Amino acid sequence: MAQNKLRVLILDDEPIVCKRLKPSLEKLGFEVDTFTRSFEAMQAVEKAAYDIIVTDLKMEGMDGMRFLQEAKKLYPETEVIVITGFATMETAKESFKKGVFDFIAKPFNLNEIQKVVQRAADKIRSAGQ
Amino acid sequence: MLAALQKLWKKVFKPPEELITFPELFEHFQALLQDHQKVMEIIADLGEKSGGDYVFDRKYLQDSVNELHVLLLHLIKGLNLISSNRYPDLYTTLDRIFLPIEAELRGRLSLAAEMPYVVGLEDLPVDHPELTGGKAANLGEISQRLHLPVPPGFIITTRAFRYFLEQNQLEDRIHALISAWLGREADTLQTSRQLQYGLLAGVVPQEVGREIRRRTEAAPFWAVRSSAHGEDGELSFAGLHESLLQVPARGVPEAYKKILASLFSPEALSYRRQMDMLGEEAAMAVLCQEVIASRASGVVHTLNLEAPETECLTVYAYPGLGRPVMDGRAQPDRLVVERQAPHHIRSREVFPKEYVVRPAPGGGEEEVTPAPEERDLPAISDATAQTLARLAISLERYFKRPQEIEWALDQTGQVWILQSRALAFSQISDFPPVEVADLRERYSLLLQDQGVVAHAGVGAGPVWVVESDADLEQFPEGAVLVTRYTAPWLARVVPKAAAIIAERGSPAGHLATIAREFRVPTLVGVEKATGVLTPGTEVTVDTNNRLVYAGRVQELLHYELLEATSFEDASEFRQLRRLLKRVAPLHLIDPQAPDFTPEGCLSVHDVIRFVHEKAVQELMDLPRFLKRFKGAQLWTLVSEVPMGLKIWDLGGGIDPAAQGGEVTAAQIRSLPLKTLWEGVCAPGVWSTEPIQVDFSGLMSSLTRTTEAATAAGFNLAVITGTYLNLHLRLGYHFNLVDARMDPDPHHNHIYFRFVGGVTDLTRRSRRARLLADILAKYHFKVDIKGDLVIAKILHLPQEEIRRRLLVLGHLIGFTRQLDMQLKSDEDVPAYLAKFLERLQPLVDLEGS
Repeated sequence: MAQNKLRVLILDDEPIVCKRLKPSLEKLGFEVDTFTRSFEAMQAVEKAAYDIIVTDLKMEGMDGMRFLQEAKKLYPETEVIVITGFATMETAKESFKKGVFDFIAKPFNLNEIQKVVQRAADKIRSAGQ
Repeated sequence: MLAALQKLWKKVFKPPEELITFPELFEHFQALLQDHQKVMEIIADLGEKSGGDYVFDRKYLQDSVNELHVLLLHLIKGLNLISSNRYPDLYTTLDRIFLPIEAELRGRLSLAAEMPYVVGLEDLPVDHPELTGGKAANLGEISQRLHLPVPPGFIITTRAFRYFLEQNQLEDRIHALISAWLGREADTLQTSRQLQYGLLAGVVPQEVGREIRRRTEAAPFWAVRSSAHGEDGELSFAGLHESLLQVPARGVPEAYKKILASLFSPEALSYRRQMDMLGEEAAMAVLCQEVIASRASGVVHTLNLEAPETECLTVYAYPGLGRPVMDGRAQPDRLVVERQAPHHIRSREVFPKEYVVRPAPGGGEEEVTPAPEERDLPAISDATAQTLARLAISLERYFKRPQEIEWALDQTGQVWILQSRALAFSQISDFPPVEVADLRERYSLLLQDQGVVAHAGVGAGPVWVVESDADLEQFPEGAVLVTRYTAPWLARVVPKAAAIIAERGSPAGHLATIAREFRVPTLVGVEKATGVLTPGTEVTVDTNNRLVYAGRVQELLHYELLEATSFEDASEFRQLRRLLKRVAPLHLIDPQAPDFTPEGCLSVHDVIRFVHEKAVQELMDLPRFLKRFKGAQLWTLVSEVPMGLKIWDLGGGIDPAAQGGEVTAAQIRSLPLKTLWEGVCAPGVWSTEPIQVDFSGLMSSLTRTTEAATAAGFNLAVITGTYLNLHLRLGYHFNLVDARMDPDPHHNHIYFRFVGGVTDLTRRSRRARLLADILAKYHFKVDIKGDLVIAKILHLPQEEIRRRLLVLGHLIGFTRQLDMQLKSDEDVPAYLAKFLERLQPLVDLEGS
């Protein structure tokens, strides 16, 4: 597993979300970068591909929905997981239409998101074989 | 004129008060119960989120508070509808409680008027570092939560600082001087001098000065130290602000001003600018503590910085007062001690002492040269070093970071903690994140994916299974507490535990709340834990991944201590904990107490308790009720126990097939009523024999009849499928039971109130004590006032509620005759034993 770590990008304008998610995903063996501003995250995505993106939806500047669309345009195989405090059926439906891997409502517990990211990783690995 | 007359007419001859109709009342009451329930759920949810297992943001806090606010408005409106508007004051109460909560959420320094200017360390509100500064807040937690010895003292808060600025009209001046300096119009030294002069020339406001003088009477000499907002928190201002030792009592107000002025020393100003903190309001709290005339003093680093992998800590010690070591002028003894109990000493370096500082007879300090034979003696004994190691590790366990601890040893040999802060160290090595997959390969797993996280974190130690009081007595510092129950009596060992694993319980339960208070990593609901974990074996509990490893997983412990950020100190968590304090505690217990009023409500929980109680009372109000219940179906319970119980079913409490006005116990669907009745009707509980009354008891009962007897004979149960509110007057006793028995434990409670009774007050108190003893055996929280007994228990699973309702059923029958027979205090234990013995086969309650 150590040979090829999957790269995860976390984007949430609340620093606490990044601060708590990063170590919990690193423990599972992912390489994790975090961002609190969408334009900085966009710059990072333009530089290099991420295997998994975890993003909030509602943010200042470019919102999560646009960010994930742009990212998917660049790298269609990137799996995107949406986390949001404004969970409605509509936003969930819209995210799935945009090809989102899964949708998690805030607040969530760490175990819950670890499992979803692990599932996304399993999918990527099995596709790569 | 005519209009005026009409107005007067209306005023004098008011139309009779209009009662709302029964169906309306029913609807309001139901809505009220539902809202009450929702509020309880939000409170439980907030508690659960404070345990670190969840990721939440400020929006969640904002949403929860908004939701609470709306629900409480509903509840208050509902109560006022039911009661013909008798509680308009509750709206004011609501503002009083919610305004500070909302200010808190907006992130403002909440230095509301309720905050004190000066506060004792023992009463220090924890989780308010913005009021007391980081240093004092830490000491407050050390003394109040960990109960470690901290020299007595008080804090002059940041609110007093603001008041000082205001009274001396310094705010604008400070602002102008700093702006000029930032705009490079003035140099640092000059700006600092002007700012400091302004503060030193100021007058300490009367209220503050008076309070300082009153408190400094306690001791002749004081240590006066800065405790700035932000200091000892995420940023270290170490040494930037003033500390004055050996200040005589009358000199404290002057010393106070000097410390305030140090906020604007050239170094502090530059540091603030460097850290980009000048935009924020600088605020200084000042900590005053009695001086410990120390025989030795020094510092402990809980990590040996020279060899962090060795599992050792370092103790630095020097004779006399701490000044020579703080100033870096003397070489202290250095002891390397094992971090793990029993804390063996690994190495010891003793240096010659050229001079020693001690308190001067007339105040202040004096330097003396030690006698030649004392020069080379170690400053402390090995035993003291081991005591220090034990205290230091418990501090580290609480603060979750390597600590730097200042300590003093007094003339009697007692160790005092003067300060504890995060140890600053540069990244020791490049720690790779510890990966769970690797650990699983190297360590065997004892438990995985079991239970629910009550407080997140990692802890290791030997397993200690608690089954009895004796196990509690011997609980070793730093062990892993493994228990079948989550009963309140475990509370006293929680601070000593490295981690907790309970077979039962929920994250909203009592044990979880205490574990969070003491920051102990805790898993609850881990079935069969006591079977899997062998007493005495070393285990590592990782709640983040819900794993329990065999042995000490050193790399994980190291990673958590050195690398992982501790969520407890994140501002969102602090905010949530402060919020919870205004939401969750229940202060209003006794509906008969004089402060059971809208003004007496201090928390959200108090308000809903008040509303609930008054709504039920409103329904119980006899004359009104009689008018109302014309529309209601009121059942009479037919039973071998002749109690004449009337039942009002609000939904789902009675078999729908029941006909006519009478029901039997078998037709009761309401779980709590059914259970309680089962207890009352158990064989031998309801004595049909005439009650023996001895002569003095009888005389007393004859003179006491009036008040109790007027309302006697009206026994009513208001029920739903899972809810019971029961008012019983039996003889001269008055019982109230309010209970809920839902599949979800968070919803459940039993509230039991018992009062009154024939016979004199002594006997009644005796009976109250007996009741309290019995209820406490079943882990009720019990309060007694004279002959009033109030017991409650919360959040238990249905089965546990069931057991306790059976007990209450027994008790109700039992007490009917009890005080006639309780003739002396010596009888109490005997009756208690008799009662419990009778109950045992029927209500097998483990852990009692």
